[in-house]
Amino acid sequence: MSRSLTLLCCLALLPVSGAFAATTAYVGATVHPVSSPAIESATILVEDGKIVAVGTEVEIPADAVSFDMTGVHLYPGFVHPLSVLGLTEISSVRGTRDFSEIGEVNSDIRAEVAFHADSELLPVAMSGGILTAHVAPTGGVFRGTSAAVKLEGWNWEDMTMASGVGAHVAYPRLRARTGGFNPPTEEEVKERKEKALEALNETLDDTKAYATAMAAALEGKAPKPEYDAKLAALVPVLDGRMPLFLYADELSQIESALDWAKEREISNLVLVTGPDAAYLGERLAADGVRVLLNGVLARPDRDWEPYDAAYTAAKRLHEAGVEFCIGDGGDGFDAAHVRNLPFHAAMAAAHGLPHDVALRSVTLSAAELLGIGDRVGSLEPGKDATFIATNGDPLEIKTQILGAWIEGEKIDFSLDRQKRLHEKYDNRPRPDGDQPAVEGLREQGKG
Amino acid sequence: MTSAKPFSMRFIFLLALAVPASAVCGSAVASTTGDPSAWRNDRPEQPSAVIVRNATIWTSGPRGKLEGGDLLVRGGKIRAVGEGLTAPAGALEIDAAGKHVTPGLIDAHSHAAITGGVNEGSNITTAEVRIQDVIDSTDVDIYRQLAGGLTAANLMHGSANSIGGQTATIKLRWGAPPAELFMANAFAGIKFALGENPKQSNWNVDERRYPQTRPGVEQSIRERFTAALDYRRKWNEHNASRDRNRVPPRRDLQLEAILEILDGKRGIQSHSYRADEIIMLMRIAEDFDFTVKCFQHVLEGYKVADELASHGAGASTFSDWWAYKYEVIDAIPYNGAIMWDRDVLVSFNSDSSELARRMNLEAAKAVRYGNVPEEEALKFVTLNPAIQLGVDDRIGSLEPGKDADFVIWSGDPLSTYSVAEQTWIDGRKYFDRADDLARRDAVTAEREALISKARSFKEKPEEEGEGSDETAPAEPESETEPETEPETETDAEPTAGALRQGVNR
Repeated sequence: MSRSLTLLCCLALLPVSGAFAATTAYVGATVHPVSSPAIESATILVEDGKIVAVGTEVEIPADAVSFDMTGVHLYPGFVHPLSVLGLTEISSVRGTRDFSEIGEVNSDIRAEVAFHADSELLPVAMSGGILTAHVAPTGGVFRGTSAAVKLEGWNWEDMTMASGVGAHVAYPRLRARTGGFNPPTEEEVKERKEKALEALNETLDDTKAYATAMAAALEGKAPKPEYDAKLAALVPVLDGRMPLFLYADELSQIESALDWAKEREISNLVLVTGPDAAYLGERLAADGVRVLLNGVLARPDRDWEPYDAAYTAAKRLHEAGVEFCIGDGGDGFDAAHVRNLPFHAAMAAAHGLPHDVALRSVTLSAAELLGIGDRVGSLEPGKDATFIATNGDPLEIKTQILGAWIEGEKIDFSLDRQKRLHEKYDNRPRPDGDQPAVEGLREQGKG
Repeated sequence: MTSAKPFSMRFIFLLALAVPASAVCGSAVASTTGDPSAWRNDRPEQPSAVIVRNATIWTSGPRGKLEGGDLLVRGGKIRAVGEGLTAPAGALEIDAAGKHVTPGLIDAHSHAAITGGVNEGSNITTAEVRIQDVIDSTDVDIYRQLAGGLTAANLMHGSANSIGGQTATIKLRWGAPPAELFMANAFAGIKFALGENPKQSNWNVDERRYPQTRPGVEQSIRERFTAALDYRRKWNEHNASRDRNRVPPRRDLQLEAILEILDGKRGIQSHSYRADEIIMLMRIAEDFDFTVKCFQHVLEGYKVADELASHGAGASTFSDWWAYKYEVIDAIPYNGAIMWDRDVLVSFNSDSSELARRMNLEAAKAVRYGNVPEEEALKFVTLNPAIQLGVDDRIGSLEPGKDADFVIWSGDPLSTYSVAEQTWIDGRKYFDRADDLARRDAVTAEREALISKARSFKEKPEEEGEGSDETAPAEPESETEPETEPETETDAEPTAGALRQGVNR
């Protein structure tokens, strides 16, 4: 306890936003680059928000500001691979639901334009080590395009690291889900399936025709077609410039979705899926389909499946050689709880996924899948100085996150609503004679 | 997904071959078979004596945490906890060196193992309905939660009513019928609910129901307590009357349940979020001269921790949920730590059949957020919920005389990397991970056999046997047209191709 107290004190000396020098050195930490093994007593040198050196023999310039990080572990910030963070504040309050548009074809929707820079959820996520997120809309068959964002900044333009990260498409369920709240009937599922497949195929056919007409117009061989935002947004998917994030959870649905993608010649495909994907490891690996495994902390869909079927899904994908990262489900409820992302990876690690792969699955693997692997996800020269300081393994729940930096700027944890309320009520005057249960608990509790 | 696949009966034979090879920790006693169909599981045997040796034992009791400790069980009860214990001859010895042992975990707020819906949403008060009448002992989540070290749970109605139904505390005796899960001698409970849910704030209803505001919720509760006292007075008058023509009052099961609250024989478990409504219910209770047993969720409990402690109510909260409704915008993960620090009896609960599989890791969040000492944090899911449910004379800690409900963990129970290896209830082993893993090999072997049989039928369609479609759906042909997906299938059964790749572990 006293050790982490000391660490807190030392971190408190660090400059808060705006005050950082051109060059800053974080000295003496155990650095976990993720892209390579951990380095003891290492230094990270940061210049203009970028990492310029990592290692034990880093030369620190004379004008650099140095901070002693002895006893602290430095990791890259977690990269959340799929969320409606920033698109909702309280998902049960209709006025704060900016993630789900009506209609089936919403391919022109851009998530980033509604990203709420001052959402109360963001500082809480950052206190939990989530520093980068991928936000995507969820309404319809063609849901729109997504963006990678850093969680600190002045407005959505400032915070968007990459727009058009992918086009998001929900493949229809083939069978009714059983159980749950108000499950749809077989008839409803069938009707929805047919409607969705029609929308899928017609829209892609139209996009192809639109692209052909546009190309012909550019060559002066035909008149320019009328601009169609929904089709124009999908043209980059046809030629593979933009990945198609295809959503399918249930096994037969996944198989059908993969068949469909092959038939439609989708060359740049990310499968957004659940534990059932682990049944198809060989096929996914052979076809080079990248997988966003949405949820390790899940119950098996079927009574007869092993109780840990979802816990072992990541391990099975890994052993089959599938390129994957781990998400948390990504719905409106999850948006408030993105800080638990590392514990999905931890449960996979407890059930056979190698620890380094587990850590990578919520950092570098996610960044690579999103096309921002050159910016975040590991601690390497040339990358953003986006990292966290901890008192131990960040996949352990007991470990505390002591500080966070995005592009070299220290995140002000006092902006976290939950920490503010903690501070306020922990300091409420006690009834006469009542003493704190543990000496110094209040001070320690700020971690 | 429903269970009872036709092949299930057949792999029992294979299981008999597989299990003996898998004995772990030197334990020769079989657990349940871990079959997903509850009724296929025999009651595990109860050895006359069991001794677990050389473990790190988290007692959640006065002995604290013992390194290299022994746990002695006789006749389903804990006989002793200590170092170097002598075991009676013939005791089952379990070498647990390097392992950790904790009391069975307890979930103070569960909706698992309940038949049908959990809300009787018709009336604002429904004190007459009882969960114990609808316990579903075949819910496979019981087994999954056993596999996460859970041994007892408080089953409750949902939060549609300001005064909901009567609760049921159960032990997760997988395979036993409902009556044997129910802890009949547990302190009786009743669900209350305050705030957005009883006032129907977050969903569309065809017809709105009174009340639609928090002040209305308060009055709906006060009215019932007043009516209950009136009801008693009428009966008292009736019983005291010598009028030969007197007509007895109509029996009212709802008010009788509410009278039990007033008499201190039935404890309120109240869904609540905001500080105002928490204080409100405590003041009603004080006006009627009883104590609220426990607030559930109680996400703003940290704001009124001193008031909770002074009233004497327990608090069973989520570790870290927030911002899913407006009334939980001020929820903080330090809630448990602040209340604990101010002498409130705190537990963490699941309210989720998924989360209930890892309550040990929820306890770890009390360490992460607020530095609650580790042994105290574990009590949030062991001793403290036992006290809140009035079953601490039986379970919740590893102390002589209590039921032998315990878990053997692969390591520190608060570590994300630890798994439950064995879960015991009443000195019977209901879960054994090694047995479970071994059983999967049997299932895989059975599937292989069935699939090859089904394929042979498929190659000779004229000889197709009865039921072969169902047990092993044919591998899809190159399905280029998704519309050709067979529509007759209703089960999300993996295709043969997938199953062949091995689904286990």
